Parts: sequence; C-alpha cells; structure tokens
Amino acid sequence: MNKEPVSDNAINQARGIVYQLLSSLFAKEVDHQLLHELTSDNAQNFWAQLASEQAFKSDVDTLMSVLNTLKSDKALLELAADYCGLFLVGTKHSASPYASLYLEDAQTGTDDEPTLFGEQHQLMLQFLKQSQLQVQSSFPEPADHLAVILAYAAHLCNSSDETAQLEFIESYLNNWIGNFAAKVTQCDSGQFYSALTRLTQSWIQAEVTGLRAEQ
Amino acid sequence: MNRRDFLKGLVSTSYVVLSGASVLAPLNALAASGAKSKDGWLTTGSHFGAFKMKRKNGVIDQVKPFDLDKYPTDMINGIKGLVYNPSRVRYPMVRLDFLLKGHKSDTTQRGDFRFVRVTWDKALHLLKDSLDEVQTKYGPSGLHAGQTGWRATGQLHSSTSHMQRAIGMHGNFVKKVGDYSTGAGQTILPYILGSTEVYAQGTSWPLILEESNTIILWSNDPYKNLQVGWNAETHESFAYLAQLKEKVKQGKIRVISIDPVVTKTQKYLGCEQLYVNPQTDVALMLGIAHEMVTKKLHDEKFIEGYSLGFDRFLPYLLGESDGVAKTPEWASEITGVSPEIIRDLAKVMTKGRTQMMMGWCIQRQQHGEQPYWMAAVLATMIGQIGLPGGGISYGHHYSSIGVPSSGAAAPGAFPRNLDEDQKPLFDSNDFKGASSTIPVARWIDAIMEPGKTIDANGSKVTYPDIKMMVFSGNNPWNHHQDRNKMKQAFQKLECVVTIDMNWTATCRFSDIVLPACTTFERNDIDVYGSYANRGILAMQKMVEPLFESLSDFEIFTRFAAVMGKEKAYTRGMTEKDWLIKLYDDCKAANAGKFDMPDFESFWKEGYVHFGEGKPWTRHADFRDDPEINPLGTPSGLIEVFSRKIAQFNYDDCPGHPTWMEKTERSHGGPGSDKFPVWMQSCHPDKRLHSQMCESKEYRETYTVQGREPVYLSPVDAKKRGIKDGDLVRVFNDRGQLLAGAVVSDSFPQGVIRIHEGAWYGPVGEDGSKEGGAEIGALCSYGDPNTLTQDIGTSKLAQACSAYTCLVEFDKYQGKVPEVSSFNGPVETQI
Repeated sequence: MNKEPVSDNAINQARGIVYQLLSSLFAKEVDHQLLHELTSDNAQNFWAQLASEQAFKSDVDTLMSVLNTLKSDKALLELAADYCGLFLVGTKHSASPYASLYLEDAQTGTDDEPTLFGEQHQLMLQFLKQSQLQVQSSFPEPADHLAVILAYAAHLCNSSDETAQLEFIESYLNNWIGNFAAKVTQCDSGQFYSALTRLTQSWIQAEVTGLRAEQ
Repeated sequence: MNRRDFLKGLVSTSYVVLSGASVLAPLNALAASGAKSKDGWLTTGSHFGAFKMKRKNGVIDQVKPFDLDKYPTDMINGIKGLVYNPSRVRYPMVRLDFLLKGHKSDTTQRGDFRFVRVTWDKALHLLKDSLDEVQTKYGPSGLHAGQTGWRATGQLHSSTSHMQRAIGMHGNFVKKVGDYSTGAGQTILPYILGSTEVYAQGTSWPLILEESNTIILWSNDPYKNLQVGWNAETHESFAYLAQLKEKVKQGKIRVISIDPVVTKTQKYLGCEQLYVNPQTDVALMLGIAHEMVTKKLHDEKFIEGYSLGFDRFLPYLLGESDGVAKTPEWASEITGVSPEIIRDLAKVMTKGRTQMMMGWCIQRQQHGEQPYWMAAVLATMIGQIGLPGGGISYGHHYSSIGVPSSGAAAPGAFPRNLDEDQKPLFDSNDFKGASSTIPVARWIDAIMEPGKTIDANGSKVTYPDIKMMVFSGNNPWNHHQDRNKMKQAFQKLECVVTIDMNWTATCRFSDIVLPACTTFERNDIDVYGSYANRGILAMQKMVEPLFESLSDFEIFTRFAAVMGKEKAYTRGMTEKDWLIKLYDDCKAANAGKFDMPDFESFWKEGYVHFGEGKPWTRHADFRDDPEINPLGTPSGLIEVFSRKIAQFNYDDCPGHPTWMEKTERSHGGPGSDKFPVWMQSCHPDKRLHSQMCESKEYRETYTVQGREPVYLSPVDAKKRGIKDGDLVRVFNDRGQLLAGAVVSDSFPQGVIRIHEGAWYGPVGEDGSKEGGAEIGALCSYGDPNTLTQDIGTSKLAQACSAYTCLVEFDKYQGKVPEVSSFNGPVETQI
C-alpha cells in the first residue's frame, strides 16, 4: 500500500481516468492501437488494482481474458461486429447507448421509444456548453451517448466539487445504467461488452455510494 | 477495502494514458456564438408537399405546411420521425463475412445481419474493388445498377443520377426498362394511343368539371394517391376534387367508382360504386362493348375516322371468332355484375359527356395490358376522345396531372450520364450475348436463371448473369414480389451494395451499406408540382447530416476521387455551384416568359411562383386533325387492333383486347378452392410506397397491435372468428405474414387489402426467434410482397403482377413476435 499522502486532487484525477477509459471503450471499437494500450504492462497493473475491488473483479477478469484472445485481425473484427450490433444499429433489438432510451419513462411503454437527438441530447448539450465544452466533430453522436456522459463525468472529477459530481452522476448516469446493462447483457453475442457495461454499472454504483458517504 | 484506500491504490497505477482523443473538446468560438446554424423557419419540400421547418437548438423542432398548400397531407407529421429515426444508417457498414472473404463470402448468411463499421474511405475502396472484380471477371453483364426508384426529392441530389453517373464512370452495367407502378400500361399504350399515357398530362380539371356528365373512376382512388407526388406536391388537385364533390351532391355530375372496394375517393365524393369481381374488369368492359354494338350506341363515325382495326375486334366481341359472344350475360357470370347493370352502364357511358379515369392497379396483374387496351377501345366506341370532359385518362390520380400547367421550364437535374468526353474505367460493352436492358420486374428471374431467353415487347431478352447489385435510394425489398424467392436469388449474388438513409430490408440483405443523409440535411432545389409546374422551391438545409451520413453528391464525389475522376464527376463545381447553375439555366430557359429573380434572392425567399396555367384538353389536336396531329402509333390512329402486337404472336397478348383467365383468381376462379381470398396491395394511404413507414409516431396512427393493417370484410371476419383489432396470419404457398385486422364494410367478401410499402420484418417461421434469413420466415409486420406472385404480366410487358394473388387467413394463435422491421439489422444464429 502506498504510504505517501495522496491528495484529493490525485484521487479525483484517478477517478477521472476510469471514467475516461470507460468512455473510450464505449466510443469506438477496440483497434490494434487501443488493444496495445489496454494490454500494456502499465495497463495490466491498473486493471489488477481495479480488480482488487470485489465488485469489479469478475467483470475485469472477463475483459482481460477477452483482450488476451484478440490475437488476430479476425478476432478484432468479431469484437467490432459485437460492438456494431449492440451500439451502432437500431434501438430495439440492440443496445444503442443513448440515455433517452433507458430512462424510466422510456421503459414503461413496451413499444414507446423516443426518437434520437431528443430531450436528453439537449440537456447534455446545455451541460457541455456551461462547461465550455462540445462533442468532438469526429464523434457525430447525440450528446446523450454514454461515452459523452462518461467523458463529462471525467471532466467533473477534475473541475467541480463532489456535491456537483454526485448530483450529475445520480441524475445522468445512475438512473439508466442499470436498464442499459440489462439490455446489453440480453443482446450481446460475445462477453466483452456485457462485462464492460456491468463494470461501468458497478463503478457508478460504487461512486454514488462513496460520494454520498462523503457528503 | 474502503473506497479511499481503493482509490489511493488506483492513483498509483492510473497513469494509463490512452492516445485516443476524448469525445469532448473545448467549445469553439463559432459554436459558442451559435452562428453555425441559426434557429428559425426555413423552406423545404418533399414528395409529401412543401413545408416550413423550424430549427431550434440545432435540431428540427416543428414542421408546418407551406402557405400555398391549401390541402396539405398529414404525412408531414411523420417527417421528424424520418430524420431522427432509430433505424438511421449511422456509419458506413460492411457485412462481416464479406469484409473477411469478399466475393467468396458465405452468402447464405446474407440476412444474418452481422455488420462492422468501416471508414468512408475503406467502404468506398471496397466498392471500387468489388466493381473491379466484377468487371474484370464477368464484364458489364455481371453488374446491375439499374434498379432505381422513388428517391428523395431534389434535382441536385437525386440519388439515381448520382449513383448511375458514378458507377457508370467505373464501367457499364445492366439497366431496367419500365417501372413497377405502370409496367404493363406504359408498354401497351404506345401501341394503342401513341404514348405511355400514364405519365402524360391529362385534360384539365376545370374543363372536366364544366363539361363532364359522367365520370367513371375505374379502379382509381385519386383522393388517396394525390397526397404524394414525384416532385414536391402542390395538392392543387384537391381543390378540384372538392368542387367535384359539390357537383355530385347537386346531381350535376354522376361519378361511378368501378371497384370491388369502397374507395377513399368514393367516400369523400359521396358517389356511386359498381362492384366488380377482382381481376375481371376486361370481361365487364367487353360486356359493355357488346351492349353498345347490339344497341348501336357506339360512335361509328369516330371509330371510322380516328381508329384502326375495329372490324378485326368485332368478330371476337360478337363471338364469331371463338364461339363465345361477350354478352352482358356472359360478362355477368365472370364479373358478378348483373346483365341489367351492364346494359345500363353502356347507356350511361354513351349518353352525354363521359370521362373515363383509369387507376394503375388493374394493370399490375397478369394480362395487365388488357384492361388498359379494352378501356381505350370503350373510350373509342364512346367517341369522345379529344373532347373536353370526355375520353379517357390514365393518370388523374398522379402527381397533379389534370392541374393546368404553368408552361414554364422546370430546373434541370445533376447529370445521370457521363459527360460526352468521358469514358468508363472499364469500357467494355461485351454483355456476353445477354441483354444489357431487362424488364424492370424480371431481375430476380435473371439472377435465378442466367442465360434464359424470354419474349419481351417484340424482342428477345436474354438474362445476364448478374453477380453484383448496387441500389441507391431504392428499396426493392419493398416493391418486388415474393420475398422467399428473393432470398434464394440473393444467395446467388456475390456483392450487394445499398445506399440509403434508414435500414430498409434492402440494406439488411446487403454487404456494403452506405449512409445517405435525408433531404433535410442538404441544400437542393425542386419543381413545385410535377405536372402543374407551379414554381421552383428552395430546399434549405435544416441540419447538418446526422452521424456520418453524407449527401448523395458528396458520397459519389468521394467515390469518383477513389477512381481518380473527382473533377470529371463534379465538373469542378461545388454543391452551391451546381445549385446556382441549375437555377440559372432554368432562369435562362424562362427568359422573356417567366420572371425569375437572381439566385440569392430566390434562395432567401425560398420560392419562385410561375402563376396559374391555362386549361387544356388531351388529344384535342388529334381530334381536330388526325392527319396533321397523328398519334404516335404505327398508323397514327387509335389501334383497336394492333398489327404490330399481332405479329409478335403472343398467346398471352394477342392482336386485340381479350379476356384471359388468370393463374389465380378469387370468386370462383382458378386456385380459389385452396386460397379463396384476393389480396390487393395498392399504394398506401399513409406513406409513399415504403417511404415514411419507419416514422414511428406517425406509423402508430394506423397500425394495429404494432402491425400493418389488413382490411377485411365483416363476413370473412366472422367466418374465421376474427374481431377488429385481432392479429391475423395471412398466408399462401409462397409465404406468410402477420397483420392487424381492421374489419370494414368497405370490403366485400373474399377481398382483403394490405398496403404495399409495409417494411419487411422476417422472424422465424413460428414467430419464435428474431432475424429471418431463412426461407419461409414469417413477416412480423405485414409486408404483402411476402405473398405476391413474381410473374410477368405477359410476353409483351413482362411487368409486375402483384395483383394476381390469392391468400387465406386466420386468427393468429402462435407466439407473438416483436416487429423486427424498424430497428436496423437483427443478428441471428444460423
């Protein structure tokens, strides 16, 4: 265990990096570059630390074991096809990662899905604008895409107090991540993205619990 | 471990740095000022009409009809749902096995819907590589890029022009002749009346309203079909229909709708219906003609002066040539119309001024040429062709035909063909003995039986061996017949490429899928009112293309760049340059006749008005002097008997109009003992073909339990224990579908209707699993072409025969599957 005093800043930075990492994995497919970075020695240590928390262990283990099987272009493409089937097409028989689709009111009617670029997209745009941010033009997705919300949470870790962080995480992540995780698990033809989504869910739950305790 | 300790541990390891950029970036000054896309109202248009759209916070917020549109269709309520649709094609995608194995991929997987995202660059290079491979291995007969259709409106971005110009710069390819809407009609009528007629301007409504005593709507539902148009529809026809309604009420015009079904138009006008058994219209017409001749009601002078070959038709009519006189009694047996009514019709149609208005449905059946030919003969016998309010038309239900045209020149379009100085990369014209042009609806036959030779319109057509198809803005997995046959054919293709905005079934059965943006994400111009040509409409971009979609212009400019031909493709001009050119060319063509402001003023205003047109009578010039103004027929006259067609010696399209039995016909006809019900699949009331079906909120205004409605009679419903709102399985030997019952008095026993354009959504045969690449899958939404028959109308037109279709139906008792049509590809295990 590190005996050096660790500043709150450093802890928030570390939390931010977790959010950023999760954001990156939802933002695009795992390519050679990303695979290399995710399986580097440094990354292995990081994953091991993450897995030291019981709530994260089994999903981190799954992610690691899948990453370690990605030895060929074909294996990467198969994973990319999982990603595509889950996140890039449709909303009903897949798990498009838009908050608007998983909030409780969207879940009540069986056949009542909102259209894309709706209210949640506008709300996130407002948040981003307040923080002098925007979605990268190279990421032409609605702003209620999970990757955007996680990236914004990462931003908050480094730029706002914990009350504001908690409020955002509770109002814009924790209220739909469970429904989303259930959908991914139901639709995933592989294991990687269901593990990633469950890990994200567990992480957010731990964050909410932790931040609440510190209030 | 407590949270703080855990996080401390994380600090020591968290120098993992991912090189990929965050999805967030600092707000740039332009976006911060909101200058990029200001909120406010803009002008645009579509097949559904012109409208104003309000942009708010960078998204489309409201849609309201254009000021000049006094009869807007409520389909514009579906526009937002089209744009922000869950089934948008968001990125270029390639079927995984195709990406891995190219032209040697496992094509039985096609339809198992496992795709991966690729970059535009990768996708366009794959397209080029595939075209190279097909042109090298098979030559131009291996490629069919000629299945084209109703594209989105806009003269510059028309998807057909872009795709065919760009693919044509690469190499030559198989093309189609004709279309699914009017294939039989547009082939037969040039022999009879000298033009396609179906796409010709018709006598103006003001003259019809003034002069007609009787209007016969034959299998025609203009009040339904005039909601949409080939260009931005003005809906001016509805003002005339409103006047007609008034005249019907006052007893000034008698309107008779000859149709098995009570149509929307009939209900609106409050007019009469004459029920006729499905597919028996020719027999009814013959019965009327027989009565006219017997009672000498026909206009012998007109027949003598303006037509050819009545004497060769007469022996058939009277039964001298085949021993069967086509009396009202004979016709009554077949048609279900009493002899008295037939006799009365002959009297009514020859008394006063009679305008016959034919719909298109009755030529989309086996021998679909015959009802159009025989109707022309009836009109000739009445003798009023060329008189205002008399004669016959084949298009008053289409794209504002009958609205007086302004006479102005319309803007041109982005060129579909190569510029004259250009040659394709692969310049071979060697189709290896096969035909380079095939009848539009015969392409699946060609894929199934390459090398087979068929008769078509006086020639022989030899089917090319098609290995690759390219579709753009076109959804043959809607408009072609017999899904299960299509699945078999598609397994024989090496490569299928589709460019579209939403995941149609055609996209789902493709290898390369490229995202086009919608009409509302690009700038364009359009004619306002196809045949009325009322003006020019600015189509102002509402929002930037969503996701990675691109305009058709941009997609194929990029593809041309991959071929090293970008400049040849665009002529070095940008989208804006082209808009200005199309506008300025139009302005020059109208100089001295119609004032047009400069482009910038037009664009700001959003519209140029050409004014009202003058009433006009079809064929009046011919009637005035048939020698100076002959028809385009071989004789220059109306051909009651066609020597040319007779010379073809076709058993299914002889030299004069003839009643022929169908392979399938209800109400006692062939096959009705096994499948007793006739299914009609006419143009929808709430869509343009399959366009708009995906718009969910609007779709829910008419679906039943989330399915396409099947309209059926109370008698048929009761017999099968079906109540309004029940789920119904409709089936025959070709396939099966689920639909939602709408029990209605408008439908007679033995007739059901499912509108075409219902998106195909296959699920396992018993409804138990998603997907549905397999033959025999159940359509979970209700696409009628799951059941229709894929045969040619005859050796003449070889057109689609969707209306020759018998089915049975029952109350659905199985596991109810979710509708799989509208959410993009569904991955299945095979």
